[in-house]
Amino acid sequence: MAEKKKATTKKTPSKKEDSKKVAPVKQEVKKQVPAATPKAAPAKPAAAPAAVSSTTQQGDARIGVFICHCGTNIAGSMDIDAVQESSKSIPHVAYVDNYKYMCSMPGQTVIHKAIKDHKLTGVVVAACTPRLHEPTFRAATKDGGLNPFRFEMANIRDQNSWVHMHDRVGSTDKAIDAIKIAVAKAALLQDLYPKSVPVEKAAMVVGAGVAGMQASLDLAAAGIKTYLIEADTSIGGRMSQLDKTFPTLDCSQCILTPKMVDVGRDENIELYTYSEVHEVEGYIGNFDVTIRKKARGVMTPKEAEAKGIVGGGCNGCGDCETACPVVKPNMFEVGMKPRKAIYINHPQVVPLIYTIDFDSCVKCGICVTACGPEKRAIDLESKDEFIKVKVGTVILATGYDIFPIEKKEEWGYKRFENVITSLEFERLICASGPTGGHLVRPSDGQTPKRVAFVLCAGSRDNTGTGKPYCSRFCCMYSLKHAHQIIEKIPGCVPYLFYMDIRSFGKMYEEFYYRIQDEGAKFIRGRVANIMEDKATKNLHVMTDDTLLDRPIDMEVDMVVLASAVQPSADTNRTRKLFGVSCSMDGWLLEAHPKLNPCGTTTAGVFLAGVCQGPKDIPDTVASAEGAASAASIPIHKGEVELEPYFASCIEEKCAGCGMCVNLCPYSALSLVEKDGRTVMQVTEAKCKGCGTCGGFCPGGAIWMNHFTTPQIVAQIDAFLLGGEQ
Amino acid sequence: MSEAGANHKFAFYLGCIAPNRYPGVESASIKAMKKLGVELVPLKGASCCPAPGAFGSIDLNVFYAMAARNLVLAEQMKMDIALVCNGCYKSIWEVNHKLKHNKDLRDAVNEVLKEVDMEYKGTINVYHTAELLYNDKFIGVDKIRDSVTNPLTGARIAVHYGCHLVKPHKDREFEKEVMLNTECPTWMEELVAALGATPVEYRNKMQCCGAGGGVRGYDIVHALDITNEKLINLKEEKVDALTDICPFCQLQFDRGQIEIQEKFGVTYNLPVLHFAELLGLAQGMSPQDLGLDLHGISCEPFLQKVL
Repeated sequence: MAEKKKATTKKTPSKKEDSKKVAPVKQEVKKQVPAATPKAAPAKPAAAPAAVSSTTQQGDARIGVFICHCGTNIAGSMDIDAVQESSKSIPHVAYVDNYKYMCSMPGQTVIHKAIKDHKLTGVVVAACTPRLHEPTFRAATKDGGLNPFRFEMANIRDQNSWVHMHDRVGSTDKAIDAIKIAVAKAALLQDLYPKSVPVEKAAMVVGAGVAGMQASLDLAAAGIKTYLIEADTSIGGRMSQLDKTFPTLDCSQCILTPKMVDVGRDENIELYTYSEVHEVEGYIGNFDVTIRKKARGVMTPKEAEAKGIVGGGCNGCGDCETACPVVKPNMFEVGMKPRKAIYINHPQVVPLIYTIDFDSCVKCGICVTACGPEKRAIDLESKDEFIKVKVGTVILATGYDIFPIEKKEEWGYKRFENVITSLEFERLICASGPTGGHLVRPSDGQTPKRVAFVLCAGSRDNTGTGKPYCSRFCCMYSLKHAHQIIEKIPGCVPYLFYMDIRSFGKMYEEFYYRIQDEGAKFIRGRVANIMEDKATKNLHVMTDDTLLDRPIDMEVDMVVLASAVQPSADTNRTRKLFGVSCSMDGWLLEAHPKLNPCGTTTAGVFLAGVCQGPKDIPDTVASAEGAASAASIPIHKGEVELEPYFASCIEEKCAGCGMCVNLCPYSALSLVEKDGRTVMQVTEAKCKGCGTCGGFCPGGAIWMNHFTTPQIVAQIDAFLLGGEQ
Repeated sequence: MSEAGANHKFAFYLGCIAPNRYPGVESASIKAMKKLGVELVPLKGASCCPAPGAFGSIDLNVFYAMAARNLVLAEQMKMDIALVCNGCYKSIWEVNHKLKHNKDLRDAVNEVLKEVDMEYKGTINVYHTAELLYNDKFIGVDKIRDSVTNPLTGARIAVHYGCHLVKPHKDREFEKEVMLNTECPTWMEELVAALGATPVEYRNKMQCCGAGGGVRGYDIVHALDITNEKLINLKEEKVDALTDICPFCQLQFDRGQIEIQEKFGVTYNLPVLHFAELLGLAQGMSPQDLGLDLHGISCEPFLQKVL
């Protein structure tokens, strides 16, 4: 402590001298600013008040510094009194105070009272992080009568006391530096005014699985026009492929079909199946989305009517399918059932409109004849259509695919006939599936009597081949599978090879006990290898039983791999269109993993369901309702406030080189002709204030509001020159 | 097949078991590879690789330093290393790879090497001869097929890959992607087929020979038990011979059969040949040149079938 005080006192005398010397230079910079910014203003009149600084100038800046203890989070690791003492001698500082919890109501009162009592022009709170409490302290600043953007935060907790918990002297010094830097900026802060933009009263949901359907129904129920985009020919997603759901064991289709029908019928939902998002422009409140409606070859009654075929269009009779001579695997049945080149996924599809798979169609025209002259639903020459819609907010619900488990070669999927995936099991055990619900061995059609379930197949895998994460629902559906074979096949024994059983949800653990009682066998060990007996096509499952500590070689009739899940194939393309980030494993990145799980860093774009990370059905539906609620807020509000951090062009300096236009990651900049010159123009609503253009501009012609060059230079000086300006 | 035809030169690292137990592996490798345009130049002064299980489990510093010394000898010859043994591959390839990518480790090893006036520089690569044979950048299956004068037609030959060449998967970087398949590779079967023989799949092909990782030295009965299981699986397929690319695996299958006979009372009489020996045979080398009479299990029945 003694050492630290010495250090501060040493610096203090030199500071004042520096201040006098350097000050005039700064004044000059300052004068340039208001002169330059108004020039930019005419291009965007609404921005004018934000860009022009009215009062604060560095010379008469009076800054208040408020130091938060955060209980012992900060005060436990540094000397608050020393920080307070040192802060008093920082130039422009007119008032210093500290409080146990600055974010509390009494703490905020300290701030707005001090603003009035001490005629402060700017506020610095040394506390946690702007991500947590910037809004709080901006409100307190406003309560004191200042523009809320006259507030600056010094992070002395997350980036200081928490990381230097055992270095009291070091963290005290660092806190003083952080405050000096913040004060330097606060002295140059200007009044800014958030910009409001109107929000289109429509939303888009991408993906019509259970998440997308739920989100769309919620939005529609709230009176919002919703465009629901689905890549497949029908809605329902993965859930429509499942037989039963855990732990309630109700039929997946039975609980899903009513929702599918509702989606198809809702007047507020405009459904686009066999479609994808092609192009996205705009920003929160005003996304212009181009939908690519893939050539389907079959017209809905509505489309037929538009073409003058009254009473025509597809009615789902299936005459075309009967006639079609081309046979292909039905991917809804994971390729285990045939379909024709003109097809529907399953009998309960919504919408009940056939689709021609043009990659397989030989255009023989037999279907056209079968459809008949009245319906005339089939158009073999149909082309992709592009439809433009305007929406205020967007929900991504792009779901998941099964990890290609054949990559884990030791388990022999695609090498051994009787090794199947869980999704194949779902179709085989499902009454509407390819075998009418009879689980049979693919090799010989026999009913298996011993079935091994390999859990964590490709999940929790650090070999580099599989996925490092837990896929979260495989344990539970494997328990359900065990129940289903015990129930359906007398004498059939399920063997579950597991690492841990993760039965974390409501009534899940109880379900686990139930399956144990029903006679399922549990072997704790990761399966090392599966071998096929060539003669019988039986399989030997090899593992180490880690509870009995002995190697196991178990002969079974069939193996079901509970394969890991991964983001669906088109996720990456779609997320890039909307500027949404993803984590290392490809799942879409939420704005905050705990406190904003449905939001993204792109304003107006939200996430629902598994595209954000593996979820079971209850969590998926909950997340969808959360996303729908979040996405409806800006729409109901009717307008959104955009942070006034946008860039603006100092036109007299701009050479119109256009380099910034190419650099901008948000397509917010463009070149315009003005008074016979080419200059850059900012679409403020699109600008995120990232500063890429401002940092690059070779002519210094870009002014970054709230992160101006003078402000940043002052911050650097404050640090390098020991707090002097 | 002139000697001037060599397109590639490698420092030939022999290891311990090949020269001592199966000298045919050495002569076959040098002669057969020369016909395929690869010259193997003896790596003089080389020591034990050292054995990955035995040394690696006890003192890693000694393990790194000894392997590094062998690498430096090849660096001084300005040649990449070629070797015939999976154990040697694990030691020398992995140490080379680690030293190239880890400066701290390299400095520590060079500190030790200084005592013998050596310095590891990381200028060479390490290859298994099986890799040279399979990779058409060096030789390739077609060239091997063309070099065959005595096709091994009619012989049913099973392949034992051996663990240390292909595993651990995440630490291997073969140029040929199929060589990265650790669970059901078939590239060696392609090599066998190139010699005119019929490659035979068998149960649990990728199981260990039983010897590696110090198991043979530590618990011979356990090691033989594993070997025995493999031999049972091989017998089921009625193979004429087993081929390997690792003299230690070869020792375990060949001498191991005699030990199994003594300890378990089971007789297999399955000839076991290193792929280099098979290649030599197919290129017309005599069984005497290949030292096949030095094998524990007689190769006669197999030779009668193919000669």
